[in-house]
Amino acid sequence: MTNPPTLQPSHSSARGTLLSRSFRKAKVLFDAWLANMTAYRAELIIWMLAGAVPLIMMAVWIGKAQAGGGSVGGLDARAFAAYFLAAWLAQQSTVAWVAWELDFAIRQGNLSTKLLRPIDPFWEYIMQHVTERFVRIPLVIGLVLIGLLIAPKGTVLTPGLAAVLVFALSIGLAFLVRFLISYIIGILAFWTEQATAFDEGYYVLATFLAGGFAPLELFPTALRSFVDWTPFPYIVYYPAKILTGQLPASDIARVFAVQLGWVLGLVVLRQVMWRVGLKKYGAVGA
Amino acid sequence: MPIIEVENLQKHYTVAEKEAGLKGSLRSFFSRKTKTVKAVDGVSFALEEGEMVGFLGANGAGKTTTLKMLSGLLHPSSGRVAVAGYTPYQRRASFLKNITLVMGQKQQLMWDLPALDSFLVNAAIYEIPEARFQATLKEYSEILELDGLLSKQVRKLSLGERMKCELAAALLHQPKVLFLDEPTIGLDVNMQVRIREFVAEYNRKFEATVILTSHYMADVTALCSRIVVVDKGKVVLDGSIEKLLERATDKIVGLEFSSRVEREVLERYGQVQSLDGLNAKLLIPRAQASVLAARVLTELPVADVTIEDPPIEELIGQIFTEGKASRAAELERTQHEEVRV
Repeated sequence: MTNPPTLQPSHSSARGTLLSRSFRKAKVLFDAWLANMTAYRAELIIWMLAGAVPLIMMAVWIGKAQAGGGSVGGLDARAFAAYFLAAWLAQQSTVAWVAWELDFAIRQGNLSTKLLRPIDPFWEYIMQHVTERFVRIPLVIGLVLIGLLIAPKGTVLTPGLAAVLVFALSIGLAFLVRFLISYIIGILAFWTEQATAFDEGYYVLATFLAGGFAPLELFPTALRSFVDWTPFPYIVYYPAKILTGQLPASDIARVFAVQLGWVLGLVVLRQVMWRVGLKKYGAVGA
Repeated sequence: MPIIEVENLQKHYTVAEKEAGLKGSLRSFFSRKTKTVKAVDGVSFALEEGEMVGFLGANGAGKTTTLKMLSGLLHPSSGRVAVAGYTPYQRRASFLKNITLVMGQKQQLMWDLPALDSFLVNAAIYEIPEARFQATLKEYSEILELDGLLSKQVRKLSLGERMKCELAAALLHQPKVLFLDEPTIGLDVNMQVRIREFVAEYNRKFEATVILTSHYMADVTALCSRIVVVDKGKVVLDGSIEKLLERATDKIVGLEFSSRVEREVLERYGQVQSLDGLNAKLLIPRAQASVLAARVLTELPVADVTIEDPPIEELIGQIFTEGKASRAAELERTQHEEVRV
């Protein structure tokens, strides 16, 4: 559709390339949300403790290993310590609460102000999460280091810098998978008043399937092969295995391929659901 | 060519009906009853570029729902809506850059940050060049007196201060079409006047088209020459304020006497609306207003006299109660000729 010449705003000849304009948007959203996040430091620590399942499970499994003559399923106390510290790091680095944000915005009608802007609210939400990571991750790393001090003697978290870098990359993709799943759950609020109930229910299951309660090699074979078809182990278990250096290179390539596949699939699903959902939007309130 | 065209626009909602209490909740859990609410039920009107129109109606009449469809937040159930050549609900970036919707009861500013931070975000999102952003900000700051407010956390601002910042934020990208939904709600009179002046100035400067809803009739009479009245999702009147006043069957004659006058004496001239010491108000049929006023002037000890139209609120109230849809339609037709002049 062409717009009439009367409305061609004299100023719409926006300067700069698409890239530089996108960069400006990203930077300004980043700055604003970082400032906003630092206002919530105290809450952040509480939220982190709420995600302490892997740490509790670490103590449980170390205890089991020590009682069971040194190892369970071939893993000794040091292996459990390294795995759960890595798993906790992965879980904390990929936290996403956008389902709650969207659910609230849709039901309260606050989505309206976001929809008026010429930018998909997706970008604002993702930036909100990314900036939060800058406050959260230093805290998490500090706690992991403390965890290493009190872990059984001889616990090695990672074989070296290369593993850390590959881990960081896989965490980036893992975050996207988790964020997109949360986003899609949030979009359900267009149809149901209980989107966050899905999120609650999904959380326990996801933590289990992701390897938050036990490393997947301890799962029965049938369950294990099922779990690999879900996105969850690619959020916590596999990144943790990459960090601790227990995944052969060929498996690492497969993990990345699967993560990418999930990201692409979820991006498409989110886009479709968003389009359809917006038609149902009631913009209640005000 | 009209900049806003609305044709037989409808928005129907299906809502679940639930009785109060646990029993009601249980019942609705097993068999959900629904009903259709016709929030907007066949609204049509058109606006020329630069027009300022007051959108009036009781709570729940469908004003806000219509504005939400015009700004692309809601998909219409049926009918046609076009704003600046765009179909609003497609929410193209170029459409969104040309409009704004200000909701007095919703805010876009980030609560925990100074308003300036939100302004910077908008400047980037709307791709406003830096120099123009600074110039616009300076200009708005002067008219709205924003000095000292922009660096304070938004949550620490008063309602009026926040509203001024909201308005500035919503207009930073200099939209050509403004939808203002209760922009002055809850504000004191001074603040209302300031916001009104700002909107008037903005309209002059940018030839912006404005649709305004307000519970304060003063907002509407000060800014708008034309009003659209909606009731139960339908347009019941569309015309100039003068046309509306012509519908008034009576004039109000205000009298100030130099000595007391009895009520019975006054009743010979017209219906006594009020009598309080030396002051009285008479309702006199429009056609005879000047003749009767002249007679009062010569026959009674009158110190001062005024002839006024009844308040617009009352006239609109009459429209609702009388439901004179046919006369309103006639008015609409004459109005369209006027607009083209």
